[in-house]
Amino acid sequence: MENENVIICRCEEVTFKEICDTLKQYNCSSREVKLRTRAAMGYCGGRSCRSFVDTLVAEFSRRPRADDVQLKYRPPVRPMPFKTLGGE
Amino acid sequence: MIDCLIVGAGPAGLSAAIACAENGLSTMVLDEFMKPGGRLLGQLHEEPNGIWWNGIDEAEKLYQRAKALSISFHLETSVCHLEKVDGKYWTLHTDKGKFSGKNLLIATGAAEQSLPIPGWTLPGVMSIGAAQVMANVHRVKPGHRGIVIGVNVLSAAIARELLLAGVNLEGIVLPPRYLLTKGQSEPKDVFQSLLHMVHLAPSHLMKIGGKMALKSSFIRKMAVGTYPKKGFKVWGMPIKLKQTVTEIIGKENVEGVKVASVDSSGNIIEGSEEILPVDFVCISGGLYPLAELVSLAGCPFKYIPSLGGHVPVHDHNMQTPVEGLYVAGNVTGIESAKVAMAQGHLAGLSISSQKNKVSDGEALQNARESVVSTRTNALIHFHPDILDGRRRLYG
Ligand SMILES: Cc1cc2nc3c(=O)[nH]c(=O)nc-3n(C[C@H](O)[C@H](O)[C@H](O)COP(=O)(O)OP(=O)(O)OC[C@H]3O[C@@H](n4cnc5c(N)ncnc54)[C@H](O)[C@@H]3O)c2cc1C
Repeated sequence: MENENVIICRCEEVTFKEICDTLKQYNCSSREVKLRTRAAMGYCGGRSCRSFVDTLVAEFSRRPRADDVQLKYRPPVRPMPFKTLGGE
Repeated sequence: MIDCLIVGAGPAGLSAAIACAENGLSTMVLDEFMKPGGRLLGQLHEEPNGIWWNGIDEAEKLYQRAKALSISFHLETSVCHLEKVDGKYWTLHTDKGKFSGKNLLIATGAAEQSLPIPGWTLPGVMSIGAAQVMANVHRVKPGHRGIVIGVNVLSAAIARELLLAGVNLEGIVLPPRYLLTKGQSEPKDVFQSLLHMVHLAPSHLMKIGGKMALKSSFIRKMAVGTYPKKGFKVWGMPIKLKQTVTEIIGKENVEGVKVASVDSSGNIIEGSEEILPVDFVCISGGLYPLAELVSLAGCPFKYIPSLGGHVPVHDHNMQTPVEGLYVAGNVTGIESAKVAMAQGHLAGLSISSQKNKVSDGEALQNARESVVSTRTNALIHFHPDILDGRRRLYG
């Protein structure tokens, strides 16, 4: 595909090129891609892009996908107002 | 304290709730949507016997049965976290307060996978399931003229529903070929997967060609080679296996798509690009189990592509290795609604038997067999290797 600037993580506006460049340079895990680029770290909790990140990591590392979930789910898994989380 | 908490009021959660309540368990169902039924609410398809499967009716039937058993419902309630308290009972955290119960069944269904395509963040681009909900649940047309990107059983089924609802569609085309669309953007691969749904296509020609091609790789190659640019019509909807959308264009919202012709491997044929005016685009990249809560509960996972990706480890009675935690429906792997109902029924019996209110091994055995036979006879197989995927879980 010609357009490498297609957005992969919509919440944090991380592009395909940014993720591929990170993987070329560091050949790292999904978690490290997340920490370096903020992909899958946004509002939706990675619901939209986590599998894209995992796919790219598997492609670049040439390792099969692991059984463990690569990008840990963290509560709250739905956007919540602070009030609901325990404020007054 | 409640005996059984169920997250998800889809066919799996509702069927499980009914089985629990019928066996004397106090049962509570939570769901974040305003209506019970889950993905059933969008479904409308014709069975081989000519009878229509109307998901809205099926959901209503299940809901009425559940209400009659005095199951308590909390709709418009999002579960955002959960914890096991003192190793004894579960507490769910929601936007409407906390709820506790001794056993927990997670039946949260599936989420859609989109496909990143240049321009996919423009307003007017949606997942195919969003278009289904707009048309079938809210009775709103998603736009005046649209196009579907991604050729699979889900997009074909929903495109048909959209046509029935009077929505104008250009057809179903492929996504552009790159790392994130592997297996979904090469006409020869997609053709192969389409063959597994020939029984759904009423056109006899497609049926015969399909069956022959399933057996012979030569015929398959010929068929892809001669596949017409305008596509074959399935249920009146052109499936354009040799056309790809390279970009979705528009300033403030979708105004059109750039399409191009491709060869059997997905290479763009030079000079074939043109712009089609559309005001909405539906993307369909498949489904994956929505297992966030199961993961927070500490359950281990297995990666099984034929079931949609990462699925929670569980046994043939829908019990996970985490004590008091059960799963049913699409969260355990992507299958059709009837399988979800059979799994939910089994999970409900399984939970009841743990409480010793059901000691009927025969009922459990029957429920297990019913899951297997429903799976084998399912009209829609989201993946040709589902049975193999299930073997990897249950042995
Ligand atoms: C877009 C789409 C179209 C489909 N079309 C078909 C089709 O045409 N035919 C077919 O047989 N199958 C279809 N399926 C497959 C479908 O998933 C199954 O048919 C069936 O609905 C699965 O049942 P379920 O009970 O497991 O999950 P669902 O029916 O998905 O129900 C899950 C419920 O859990 C709720 N939920 C999820 N997370 C939370 C949370 N954190 N808190 C509170 N509630 C939550 C959801 O609101 C939902 O109501 C489709 C699936 C999708 C996603």
